[in-house]
Amino acid sequence: MNYAIETNGLSKFYGDVHAVNNVNLRVKCGEVYGFLGLNGAGKTTTIRALLGMICPNEGNVKVLGQALGAGGRGPWAQVGHLVESPAAYPELSVRENLDVARRLHGIQNPKAVDEIMDKLSIASYADRKAGTLSSGNFQRLGLARALLHKPGLLILDEPSNALDPAGIVEIRELLISMAREHGTTIFMSSHILSEVNLLADRIGIIHKGKLIKELDAARLEEIRARQLVVAARDLAKAREVLAGFDVTNLEDGRLALKDARAIESPESIATLLVNAGVPPTHLAIEQENLEEYFLRLTQ
Amino acid sequence: MNNFFAALWTETLKMRRSKVPLFTAIGFSIVPLIGGLFMIILKDPEAAKSMGLISAKAQLMVGVADWPAFFNILAQAVAVGGAILFAIVTAWIFGREFSDRTAKELLALPTSREAIIGAKFIVIAVWTFALSLFVFGFGLVVGNLVVIPGWSMELLQSAFVNILGSAVLTIVLLPFVALTASMGRGYLPAFGWTILTVAMAQIAAITGWGDWFPWSIPALFSGAVGPRAEQLGLHSYVIIILASSIGLAATFYWWRNADQTR
Repeated sequence: MNYAIETNGLSKFYGDVHAVNNVNLRVKCGEVYGFLGLNGAGKTTTIRALLGMICPNEGNVKVLGQALGAGGRGPWAQVGHLVESPAAYPELSVRENLDVARRLHGIQNPKAVDEIMDKLSIASYADRKAGTLSSGNFQRLGLARALLHKPGLLILDEPSNALDPAGIVEIRELLISMAREHGTTIFMSSHILSEVNLLADRIGIIHKGKLIKELDAARLEEIRARQLVVAARDLAKAREVLAGFDVTNLEDGRLALKDARAIESPESIATLLVNAGVPPTHLAIEQENLEEYFLRLTQ
Repeated sequence: MNNFFAALWTETLKMRRSKVPLFTAIGFSIVPLIGGLFMIILKDPEAAKSMGLISAKAQLMVGVADWPAFFNILAQAVAVGGAILFAIVTAWIFGREFSDRTAKELLALPTSREAIIGAKFIVIAVWTFALSLFVFGFGLVVGNLVVIPGWSMELLQSAFVNILGSAVLTIVLLPFVALTASMGRGYLPAFGWTILTVAMAQIAAITGWGDWFPWSIPALFSGAVGPRAEQLGLHSYVIIILASSIGLAATFYWWRNADQTR
């Protein structure tokens, strides 16, 4: 199978620090891949290796079927990227910054700059110096630079950074339309789990340089831990009644039951409590949220 | 080749939009103005006496008010001042990519890193040579305005070769400034390198090894400290070409192979 991104045993060491350790990634063409990790987990180092900006100590990287060569040579005409914070020449206007990118990408048509400014809603800032932009618009300029040449593969590091909620939705929809309508492969890192969950087809979790989990985004719903949460007026007595179950106290005082039999038949728990004279005031199955799942994996 | 011209267009645009060319031109224009001031002082001994220190310094440095002395001041200033001013230009062109964090935008592109670095060097060479021409031209204007004796076409030709030749020899050593700005990922290491080489050049020249030390050679070429033939030999030109080639190759190698983590 042809992968848009393929790494084999990718490792990068800085002295004794294993920034990335034996990472094997496979991102299919047309897939949206969410790359999750805490700060310092190795996300940006991996992305830099994918873009030929750093040389791996071990392993290799293929992008769009092409092994990255010496001097960072790769199929860059088909790859758009945004690494860490966006960057632009502050004394150049938004239009000039994009014109620089257009020429360096070998795009002949100058209208490409106007089109991408319209798409990213920065046309009204076209003649403003990049150094005077708000951080949100600066991020949009960085994204415009990444999307300018209509790449088949987008490698984005925290694309929602600095955007306001409306901007996050707007960019999310833009990326979704690129992926669904134009078949663009998107590899995006983020620490905003809900954002990744809304976009990604597949998710990889990197921790301390190692890819510790890869899963389909649809599976994420299934595998996040569930628990039956119970509240009652006399919690101490309720806990006694439920002594045969795996009960833990939540921070808000409620009780959480993690046994499968409790989760599968909450009505039996209700009956048990009612019969014991401590009827539940709250009984609900709650699913571990993304953050909790992520933290559970990385701890 | 198209990629190279794209890179050249980009580097030229960055230079045009910057205030650094203006500041460097203003900075360098001080050289002919100071030379002209010395000439005015030396032409009028009474005024020189009333001016105290400046007068004493002017007499110490040039002695008489004539075109050979005036060109001598320009040559010295271009050789030593150029080493510093041209280094500022080079440090800005390379170092700004790190201080503005734009270096990462130059790496994963269809335009090769070699084309981008080559374009940067071309802009540096054109910019710094233009500055040298400007100083020479402005010097002629100032010299004519203060009306000094000793003009001849032969002198003009030899001063042109001395000053512009010295500038070219300074320019060919700039790759080391580019390299230190790149490796140090900013301006400061390049400035440190420049101060070091200017100081070392003085020491090498004073101890009689200037013809062997690349950074002493531009000042010795300028004729400011004596006839060129007595100061430099063929080995000096070989050494400076060799040093320049090493600096260029090392800069290209670094951009091609170093990990870019900023």
